[in-house]
Amino acid sequence: MVLSVGDAGARHNKVIKCSLKAVEGSRYFEGIVKNRMFYEAPEITSRICGVCSCAHTLCSIFAMENALNLEVSDQTIKLRKLLNWGERIRSHATHLYFLSLPDFLGYESALAMVPKYRREIEIALKLMKIGNRIVSLIGGRDLHPVSAQIGGFLKYPGKQDLNEISSLLKECKVYAIKTIELFSRLSYPEFSRDVSCFSVYNDDEYGMFNGRIRTHNKDYNKEDYKNYLKEYHEKSSTSNFVVKESKGYRVGALPRINISCHLLHKEAKRYSKLIKLPNHNPFKNNLAQAIEILHAIEECISITNNMEIKEESFKKPKLVNGHGVAAIEVPRGTLWHEYIIKNKKIVYCNIITPTAQNLRSMEDDIRAFLPSVIKLKKEKIVLETEKLIRSYDPCFSCSTHFLNVRWI
Amino acid sequence: MKKLKIGFYGITGCAGCQLSVIFEEDELLDIINLIEIQAWPFIKELNYDKKFDYIFMEGLVADNEDKGILLKLRANTRFMVALGACAHTGCIPAYRHFTLKENYAHLLYEKKENIKDIDPNPIDSFVKVDYIIPGCPPDKNEIRSFIKDIVRDIIPKPYNNPVCVECKRNNNSCLLDNKKPCLGPITRGGCNSVCTNNGLECWGCRGPTQQGHKMQS
Repeated sequence: MVLSVGDAGARHNKVIKCSLKAVEGSRYFEGIVKNRMFYEAPEITSRICGVCSCAHTLCSIFAMENALNLEVSDQTIKLRKLLNWGERIRSHATHLYFLSLPDFLGYESALAMVPKYRREIEIALKLMKIGNRIVSLIGGRDLHPVSAQIGGFLKYPGKQDLNEISSLLKECKVYAIKTIELFSRLSYPEFSRDVSCFSVYNDDEYGMFNGRIRTHNKDYNKEDYKNYLKEYHEKSSTSNFVVKESKGYRVGALPRINISCHLLHKEAKRYSKLIKLPNHNPFKNNLAQAIEILHAIEECISITNNMEIKEESFKKPKLVNGHGVAAIEVPRGTLWHEYIIKNKKIVYCNIITPTAQNLRSMEDDIRAFLPSVIKLKKEKIVLETEKLIRSYDPCFSCSTHFLNVRWI
Repeated sequence: MKKLKIGFYGITGCAGCQLSVIFEEDELLDIINLIEIQAWPFIKELNYDKKFDYIFMEGLVADNEDKGILLKLRANTRFMVALGACAHTGCIPAYRHFTLKENYAHLLYEKKENIKDIDPNPIDSFVKVDYIIPGCPPDKNEIRSFIKDIVRDIIPKPYNNPVCVECKRNNNSCLLDNKKPCLGPITRGGCNSVCTNNGLECWGCRGPTQQGHKMQS
């Protein structure tokens, strides 16, 4: 990432210009899937992101099923939820402990924290492990799941495996609570910017697959997303920026809690009082993620309890043409996949990632935040800005320690 | 004993291979004790990018910037390890080779020279690669045993049997018999046949085996 900032000292501590440029190699996934068979998309788009591989697989599957008018069983939906929650647990744990916590405790990395904070890192690894265990049990392996397919699952977990997961989850609850306590004690910068929050919402459950798109004051249909979302290209950036009705908006754990807090599980809801809601301090996204881990664990326990798995045959689509949109909640926010299928082949594909949707708001936040730190030393300014960017949990492939500040 | 100086880097890719290293869970803290991690920009703020013993490189070369990073790092390390399928074979991002330009023309835009696209290729098209840890993503056990080998000064041996060997050992019914286009017989194993265990045909992410599995007639 490149950030251009007006020089602090020479220009009377004023931010002259601030623009964020995300630079990463282009892979053109939406072009690669074109002219391929519809069932190839989940497997291919999974490779967009390692840490959100289940997210892309699932979103692609849902969009295809919408396009080809395919209804799947309740069991399939339940297993997909487990896959999504498992990924949420390990992704949040990795982000919180390996990317964010070192920022707040003044370490250069989680590895450097080990001598003094071994217990905390061990908690992280335990949470990552239970997340991975769920994903590999349901999806077949840790990354880029194989069993989840359009129309059903290729393989089902055994009763014994589910029981094992269930008891592991119960053991891990205490680690989720410790994580919330830890992240509630950190000192977060006093910063708030009222920006539209955005999440999939339905009355029955905390942000997941089904429902409409909800912002603080309005609901939207997923299908006509192009009427209210606009993707545009910022010069010199390889990422798309996305705006809603020409303004930036936020997606992710904090927006989700802002919108669906009343749907959290009992204990997670109790801890959500640690955040004053609605909250518009992006740094607090960390605490929101910690609360989501607890909710995810409670949710997985309630899904796996009394779950009787039966082998089901695959649902096969009868249609060969169609147009489908899916928006689902994944670790970093709302993920969109859209496909047009003609004669079983993909003729159009559009994918909008959570990070692309957060970029606009991230840049606006940095601009608003910089004046409060501009009197500090340059290294400190960079660190505080990185802390802000990392709190958004942007997709790993661009959130890494790559912030180059051009002082102009 | 002096610890090996190691770097983990990623160029264009999905970060899944580096994540597989972090996902060692129970063993991660022991592994990082065995080596000196000089650079890992994925999770480290301070990165010293000179005089490595081993660099584990994830991702493929998709633009000029990737190429520049790769060439510079190759000059600073004794051994270069291709970590995962993108670095090894180009994997899915290299499908661009088989995609008509008109399919992604609408996604193109003008780029400055330093980040201009080049043909997507695995890293051995640009630099000498000493070792390969194949797979999309690589098997965690394989990464772990590779690191344990090099710290004991043992030359890591590649696994050359086709996927079928492990697949049969895992008692899977043959997907080819079920008329599924499985590439197991010609693909390098070592993945514990993780895809075919779950009923998905092998699509060859680990590259060709050097000893193709002869089909029984």
